[in-house]
Order: sequence, then structure tokens, then C-alpha cells
Amino acid sequence: MTTTINRRSLLTRAALGATGLVAASAMGSLAPEAAFAAASQYPEAGQPDPNFAEGLIIGRNRDLLQVRGSDGRMHRIQLTGVTSVWKLRPTTLDEVRIGDGMYARGVLMPDGILAAESVWVNIVNLTVGITSIGRSVLNLDHHGQNVVGHVQPGLTAAVYNGTPAVSDLSMLEVGRHAQVIGAWRPGTNEIDIATIYASN
Amino acid sequence: MFAQQVAAAQPLLIGLLLLWSSYGKIVRQDSAERTALPRLVGENRAAPAYRAVGVVEAVIALALLAPPVWTVEAFAAVALAAGFTGYLVYAKIVVPAASCGCVGSSAKPIGHRAIGRALLLLATAVTAATATTGWWSAGSGALVLIPEAAAFVMLSAELDRYWLLPLRRLRLRITHPLSGTATDGIPLVATQRRLLLSPAYRAVDGLLRSDIRDYWDDEDWRFVSYTARYDGRRVTAVFAVPHHDSTPESVRVAVVDETSGQTLYRPTVPAAAG
Repeated sequence: MTTTINRRSLLTRAALGATGLVAASAMGSLAPEAAFAAASQYPEAGQPDPNFAEGLIIGRNRDLLQVRGSDGRMHRIQLTGVTSVWKLRPTTLDEVRIGDGMYARGVLMPDGILAAESVWVNIVNLTVGITSIGRSVLNLDHHGQNVVGHVQPGLTAAVYNGTPAVSDLSMLEVGRHAQVIGAWRPGTNEIDIATIYASN
Repeated sequence: MFAQQVAAAQPLLIGLLLLWSSYGKIVRQDSAERTALPRLVGENRAAPAYRAVGVVEAVIALALLAPPVWTVEAFAAVALAAGFTGYLVYAKIVVPAASCGCVGSSAKPIGHRAIGRALLLLATAVTAATATTGWWSAGSGALVLIPEAAAFVMLSAELDRYWLLPLRRLRLRITHPLSGTATDGIPLVATQRRLLLSPAYRAVDGLLRSDIRDYWDDEDWRFVSYTARYDGRRVTAVFAVPHHDSTPESVRVAVVDETSGQTLYRPTVPAAAG
């Protein structure tokens, strides 16, 4: 917790320009283009992207994940201190659990382990119709399949007609089409809603 | 006496229902492939079988509606309703994604309501089999058809949009269950959108390697951090997005080496116009 606070205060001061800039000569080239040459491998035509993996987490040993891809391939994915983790919101590594579905992007190491830079856990992107609205849930029809969408107070946001997102969900209407980004609750037909894109 | 009249009235309801459902089967044959029929009778025979069921329904319906009164018509309807019920239960177990194919062209999978409707049809057909007179002489027994028809409508998912959806819309207009959700908090996705549209983001876009890693609010700013790669090193890009200034130029960014605490790069962004 202390490290998080220290980290944030350092970054806060840096972003607002309260810290000095390291002299260019000490650091070598400072042009962004020079840093562009990342160490990642480039995919070959017709081959799966080596820097991407998806599937169901079937094992976790500390920060090394065993993932079974939907195409049957097995992946080993290393989470690190700089990996971004999304699970309904940007969160921490310990929220990644066995049984979760995930997408990861990172750098494939020579030993076949994907060093993850970004991980999205249980993320779903659904086109739905809103069939009913309750106090804490929306019943959604996803191509004939009923999906229960849970509203998370303070987290669920709505985008109406492409305008900036707001927390006000009271303009949602039944019978309308919508697109939902959310986090699946594994083993159920239920999701937690992160953002719902609707018209009104 | 009244029970007799009720029984006598049933063929009217069953006949109209079967006519409605046979119409969909004969006219909209493309619905056949969404049902469990391809699995049951084979791909090639699904469409003819679907149409054949429609024709049988129409024949039984017309026989029920028209004089003379034969008990055999009611028994045919019982057999048909029992067949529907059995077929729906089979389809729900074997091909859960299949649509009911009952009436119209609904693509919804078979639910409990569809099976309930088939059972209700079976019950009405069994009642009809005890009738001794035609529906045109049912008299006051015909009043029973009103609640029965209402039950059929409520069990028909195909008709929801004509009564259930308008009712729910009306309820939302009176009191919306989510009317208390509006807060002063700014959703992260709104911050992210402003960030993505800012010159600061364009200046460091090529360095970023991750999605949002952390975010926090401090006084009038929201801070959002990403993992980045700079000069071959793992670094952090941190954006500062002001709460009260919505111009794209107001977003600031710094690239920071967290191990040394040094700020490595801060693009010079043109000052906001005005």
C-alpha cells in the first residue's frame, strides 16, 4: 500500500511537471522514434500472432499462468510488475484466478513463455437488446440468449449516442439495441457491465 | 351443462391457434433450419417436414372450425399437441440452441414458456375431445376462451413486443429503477476517451506497451498510468487529465523511470488556444 502511494505521488509530480527532466546527453537519444524499435517479434503472414494469447486459465503458479486456448493450444503466460490487468476495471495481478477467461498481449520469450504487458480477464463485448431493467440488473438478449447484466454502482458507465461516458443509467430503455463491454462471471450467463453504449 | 359448453367452445380457440401457427410454417420455410428438425429428420428433409406439419395443422384447424362435429378431429388435435410437447422437450434437451419454430419466425431458443404453451394446447385439446356439440352452440361457455386466449398470449414469446415491452416502457417512464445512478464521479472510460484524443497521447503513443495499469484522482486531476518502453527500458507513462478543462491540449504526460524516479521525457505540447 505504501509503495502504491509512493509510486502514485512520484508519478503525480512527474505528470504535472514538478520534477526536473534528465538531461538529454545523459540518456542518449530522446526522440520517441529511437525507442520505437521494441524487442517484440513480428507475426509472419498466415501464422498466429506470437505476441498474443487467449484462453481459459487452468493453472496458476505464482505469477505464471497455464492457459488453454480456444483453439486447443496451450500457453504459458508470465505476469510481471508492469503488466496491466483489466477485470471490469484496471486492477491488480492477484485478481487473475483459475477458471477465468483471458486475453493477453506481450512479448514471446525464447523459452516459449509470453511475458504479458496487458491482460484482459473475462472481458466480453456483446451486441444485445435490452429486454428489461431492474434495480441492479439489466436483462439482455444476445441473439436469442438471455444474459444477465449486473450494474456495479460507481463503475458501470453509459455512453449515449457516442457522447462522453456518464454514470447516469436512467436513459436506458427497454427494447433498444446496445453494445456492452463487461466482465463475464465464469460458468454463468451473467456479466458485470463496465460500459454500455446505447442510443436514446 | 356449463362444462359441456366450455368443452364445446375449445375447438374455436384450437382452430384459430393452429391456423396462426400453420401460416408461419407454410409461408416462412427458412425458419425450418433454425429448429431442431435438421437434427431429427436430416438436413434435406427438414424444410418439407416443417411444411408438412404446417399442412397437417391447417387441415385439423379447418376441420375443427367447420361443421360437422366429429370427435375424431379433437383426438387428432390431442395427438398433434402431444407431439408438439414431446418434440419441444426433445429439442430442448438435444439441440438447446434450436428455435421453437412454433409460430412466426422467432429465433429464440425453446424456453419453459413454449413448453407450457404446448401443454396448455394439449389440455384444451383433451377438453375439446369431450364435446358433443359445435363451438357455434357453446353459448356462455365461450367466455372461458378469453382468459385462455390471454394465457396463450402470455406464453407466446413471439408476442412480447406487442404487450410486454410497451408495459415495461410505461413502467420505466413512471419510475426508472436506475434513476439514482447519476453521480459526480467521472467514469474512467470518459477520461480515457479524452486522453486518446489529446496531443499528449499522440506524442507518446509509440512508446506505450500496455493498457491502463493504474488510475487515481488527486485534487483537480485524474492520473492514468501505462507501461511503456523507452530507450530499451521498461518505464511508466503517466497522463494527467484535468477534471474541469476539457480541451485536448490540457492533457499532460510524462515518461518516468520508476526505479530511479527520473522523468525521462515530457513532450512540449502547444499551449491551449485562448
